[in-house]
Amino acid sequence: MIGNYYKTAYRNLWRNKSYALLNIAGLAIGIAASILIFIVIRFETSFDNFHDKKENIYRIASYSLNNGNGKEFYSGGVAFPVGPALQSGFPQVKKVARILQREGEPVAINISGVERKKFITSIFYVEPDFFSLFNFKWLSGNAQSVLTAPNSAALSKSTAEKYFGNWQNALGKTIIHRNSQNEIYTINGIIEDVPVNTDFPLEVMASYSTLQHSDMKDNLNDWVSTWSEACTFVELDKNASVSAFNKELIALAKKHKPAEYAKDAYMAQPLSAIHYDERFGNYRHHTFSKGLITALELIGIFLLLMACVNFINLATAQAVHRSKEVGVRKVLGSNRWQLAIQFLSETALLTAFSLIAAIGISYLALPFLNTLLETSMQLNILSANFLIFLLLVFISVTFLSGIYPAIILSGFNPIVALKTKITSKMIGGISLRRALVVLQFSISHILVIGMLIVVSQMNYFKNASLGFDKEAIINLPIPDDSASHAKIEFVKQKLLQHKGIKHVSASFASPSSSGNWSSDFKFDHSDKPTIFSANLKWADADYFKTYDLRLIAGRLFHPSDTVREFVVNETTAKLLGYSNPVAILGKEVNLWDGVIKAPIVGVVKDFNSNSLRSPIGSVIIAPQKNYYGVFGVKINAAEEKNVLAFTEKLWNEHFPDHVYAFSFLDQKIAAFYKQEEQLSQLYKIFAAIGIFISCLGLYGLVSFMAAQRTREVGIRKVLGAMPRHIVYLLSKEFSLLIIIAFLVAAPIAYYAMHQWLQNYSYRTPLSFWIFFIAIAGSMVIAWCTVGYRAIKAALANPVKNLRNE
Amino acid sequence: MIQLEKISKWYNTNGARNFVLKDIHLDIEEGAFLSIMGPSGSGKSTLLNIIGMLDTSDEGNYRFFGESVFDLKEKKRTELYKKNIGYIFQAYHLIDELTVYENIETPLLYQDVKGSERKAMVADMLDRFNMVGKKDLFPSQLSGGQQQLVGIARALIAKPKLLLADEPTGNLNSKQGEEIMELFKKINTEDKITIIQVTHSEKNAAYGDRIIDLLDGRIQQNIQ
Repeated sequence: MIGNYYKTAYRNLWRNKSYALLNIAGLAIGIAASILIFIVIRFETSFDNFHDKKENIYRIASYSLNNGNGKEFYSGGVAFPVGPALQSGFPQVKKVARILQREGEPVAINISGVERKKFITSIFYVEPDFFSLFNFKWLSGNAQSVLTAPNSAALSKSTAEKYFGNWQNALGKTIIHRNSQNEIYTINGIIEDVPVNTDFPLEVMASYSTLQHSDMKDNLNDWVSTWSEACTFVELDKNASVSAFNKELIALAKKHKPAEYAKDAYMAQPLSAIHYDERFGNYRHHTFSKGLITALELIGIFLLLMACVNFINLATAQAVHRSKEVGVRKVLGSNRWQLAIQFLSETALLTAFSLIAAIGISYLALPFLNTLLETSMQLNILSANFLIFLLLVFISVTFLSGIYPAIILSGFNPIVALKTKITSKMIGGISLRRALVVLQFSISHILVIGMLIVVSQMNYFKNASLGFDKEAIINLPIPDDSASHAKIEFVKQKLLQHKGIKHVSASFASPSSSGNWSSDFKFDHSDKPTIFSANLKWADADYFKTYDLRLIAGRLFHPSDTVREFVVNETTAKLLGYSNPVAILGKEVNLWDGVIKAPIVGVVKDFNSNSLRSPIGSVIIAPQKNYYGVFGVKINAAEEKNVLAFTEKLWNEHFPDHVYAFSFLDQKIAAFYKQEEQLSQLYKIFAAIGIFISCLGLYGLVSFMAAQRTREVGIRKVLGAMPRHIVYLLSKEFSLLIIIAFLVAAPIAYYAMHQWLQNYSYRTPLSFWIFFIAIAGSMVIAWCTVGYRAIKAALANPVKNLRNE
Repeated sequence: MIQLEKISKWYNTNGARNFVLKDIHLDIEEGAFLSIMGPSGSGKSTLLNIIGMLDTSDEGNYRFFGESVFDLKEKKRTELYKKNIGYIFQAYHLIDELTVYENIETPLLYQDVKGSERKAMVADMLDRFNMVGKKDLFPSQLSGGQQQLVGIARALIAKPKLLLADEPTGNLNSKQGEEIMELFKKINTEDKITIIQVTHSEKNAAYGDRIIDLLDGRIQQNIQ
C-alpha cells in the first residue's frame, strides 16, 4: 500500500517538477535557516555547561543603586578582599577561588640569550581552587603545585606550542611579563586547550600570589574599588539557600565598605547566568542575552512557518489536478482516511527531500556564519540533540503543511471530482490562501523593517558626531614601565618631526575607549564623595587639539607631568549643580582623600566617552604622566602609508622590548558595536530569506492563478483586452494583499523595534522612510515575481487557450 | 438483488423543487444486463451513481441484497460497495501516475488482499485481457480502447457481483465499442456478473436483456 502511495507520489512529483522544486526549495531554505539558528542557540546555551559542579558555582558580583545619574551599576567583579573574607564565617561556602584577567599584556620569551619573541596576550591570575571548581584538564602538573608559589605559571597547550614549538618544551621555561625583571614567570604546568564554549579563555595563567609582588599589591586590600576583571567564584553547599547567602553578602559589603558606599552590594550570580547577563559581562566580552535567544527562536519558527505556508498554498493550488485521482481512488474503494494518509505521506516525502537539502545548505553556510559571528560552531549531524531536532522539524513541517491539503483533497466528492468540476473555490477557497499570503508577507515585513532599523542604528553609530575628532587618528601603545615612560616626551617630539603628523598627545586613553578608569571624588572641600563616578582621562595638554575637544569656559591646563589643574566636561558641571559652567571654575577636585587635589580651570563641551549605548557621564581631565598608556597621533590622511612606516620604525627603535601594535581610533570605536554589527548582518540574511520564501510562494500562487484563469484571459483578449490590462488583472490583487500585510506588520514591527532601541541612549529615529522603503521594496520585488507569469499569460494565444477548454 | 422504491432526487432552485429523479421503482435480478437510456439531463448518471452508492437520494428506499443501503453506516456501506461493485467510466479514469499493472492492482490494495495473492490475481487478469506485454506501460501510452480494457480489468479484479458502466464506449470508435460490448456480454453470461450500463446508443443498449428509458427523471419505458 505504502509502496503504491510512494510510487504515485514520486511520479507525481516528477511530472510536476517545477512545482516540486519550488516547494522543496522554499522548504529547504526555511529549514536550513532554522537548523542554523538551532546551531547558534545550542552553541550559545552550551557555555560552561560541562563543569561537574555547575549547579553550585556562583560568581560574587557587585551592584549598586543610584550610581551617577541614578542608574544602577553592575559589575561581574568584586573588591579583592572579598574572596578571603568568604573563607571564614560562611559555612555554606565550600570553596572560594579568585581569578583576575589582565588583557593586552606584553610577554617576551628569550631564545638563545639574544633573540626574543614578543607576544600580546591575556594573563589570568588564578587561585589553585579555581580548578577544583571548574573542569579544565591538566596535561602536566596540577593546580595546587603550579599555581601556589609566586611567579609560577601555566600555559594552554596551543599557547605553549605557539611560544615554544611544542608543549613539552615549554615546561621549566620562563616568560617575561612587561619586560620587568621582577615578573619573570616560570612555566610549571600545561592545561589542555579550553573548549570553545567557555567564558574562560585561559591561555596564560599565573598564580594569584604573583600579584602580591606586582603593581597590584596595594589593591589587594582595597575594599572600595571594584575591578570588573577581578572575579571571585564560590562553590555553595547544594542545600544552601542562595537568598540567605545574598543577604549575608549585602551585610558583608556594609561591614567592610566605608559608610559613604552604603549603596554598594554584592550578590551571588549563578554560573548558568554568566553567559546571558550583559549587565555583569564575562571574560569573553561576549554575552548572548535571553532576549536575543527568544528573538532568534521566533525568527526560526517564523521562517519555518512561512515555508509551510508556501507548501499549503502550492499543494492546495495543485489539488485541482489531483481531484481526478481522488475520485478514482474513492470509486476503487479507498476511504477518506486512506487518502489523507496518502497525501500526508506525499508531504512527508517532500519534507524529507527538503530536509536533506537543508542539511546540505546548512553545512555549506556554517563556515560563513562562523566567520560572521567569530565562532567555531560545528554541525554534528549524528548528535542526539540534532537528530531529535530534525525529527521534530520533520514531523511538525509534515503536519503543518500536509494536514490541510490532505483534509481538503481527501474530502472531495468522487462524482464531482471525476467530472473535474473541482475549482479553486471548492478547495477551501482562495480566501484562505489570501490569508496565508498576508501572514507570510506580514512576517517578512516585520523582518525587513526590523533589519532596516538595526542597520540604520548601525549607521547612526558609525556616523554620529561623538563630540571629538576620531578621523585619521592612530593610537600607539606606550609601554607600562618607567623606562619607557621616561621616553614619552622624546618620542612625541620625534613623531612631530614627520610632515604627515599634525598633532601628538600622550594620554591614559582616547576620549572614547573601552578601557575606562572611574572614580568618585570630593568636590569643593565637601567631606562626602560625589554620588557619581567621573571618568578619569589622564592626558597631556595637547589632548584637546589632537582630538579637537572644544573649550566652553575658562582655559586649558598648562603643560605639566603631574596634576596641577583639572579640566572637566559640561556634564560634570551640571551634575554638581552648575548650569553656568563659568561658575565652577576655581573649585577644587579632591581625588582619593587628598592624594590629588587641584582646582578646575576649564570646562569642555560634552563628548561621548563611552559607547552610544550609554548617556554622556562625567569626565575629568588632567595631566599625570605615569598613567599614560597611549599616543594619539593625528595624521594627514593622504600620508597614511608613510606615517605608518615611520611610526613603526620609530617605535621599535625606542621600545625594542615591546610589541608594536597600532590601531585607528575610528575602527576601535566601530568595534564597540561589534555585536550590533553582527546582529545586523544576521538580520539582513534572515530578512532576505524571508522575502525569498514569500516570493517563491507568490510565484507559485500566481502561476496557479494564471493557469486557473486561462479561459478568462482568453475571453478577455478576444474581447479586446491589451496585455497590460491582463497584467493588471493578475497583479492588482497581490498588491492589495501586500498592503494589507504591511498594515498588519507595521505596528508590530514598530512596537518591537521601539523596545529594542530603548537599549541605547543614542538612537536613530523610527522614521517614516524605513517603513516606506519596506513596503516599496517588497512591492517591487513582488511585482517582479508576479510580472513574469502575468506577462506570459497576457501574451499567450487566446485561440489556443479557449480551444483547450 | 437491487430494489429501488420511490427514489426521488431534486435540487432547490428559488424555492421550487427541480427533480433529477422522480419516483423511480426498479427491481434488478442477479445476472441481469440492464441498459439505461435517455437524453442528456434525464438523470441516467444520477441513477447509476445512486445504485453505485456514490450518491444518495432525497427520498425513497434502496435495498442491495436485502440491506437497506441508505440506513447503513458509512463504513459498512463502503464495505458492501468494495465487495460487490465495480465501476467503469466513459473517460476510463485510470490513474496517470500508475502503470497498467499498478492500476489494476489498486482496488486489491484497498481490500487488504495479500501480496502474493494480489500478484496472482493481477497476472490472471492481464492474461485474460491479453495485456501481459503492456503491464508496465502508463495510461498515456495506450489507445483509448486499450485504456478502457484496463478500466474493465480494474473493475473486475476484485470479483464484483455488479458492474456499473457509465457510457463505457462514449470515447471509443465503433469497432472498439463493439469489442467492449461483446466483452460485456461475455462477462454477463459466463461470469454471471450483473451489469448496468448507461448509454446513448440503441445498438449498445441492445446487448442487454433489459432497457429502461429515462425522461426528465422518470421511467418512460421498461422493455424486458
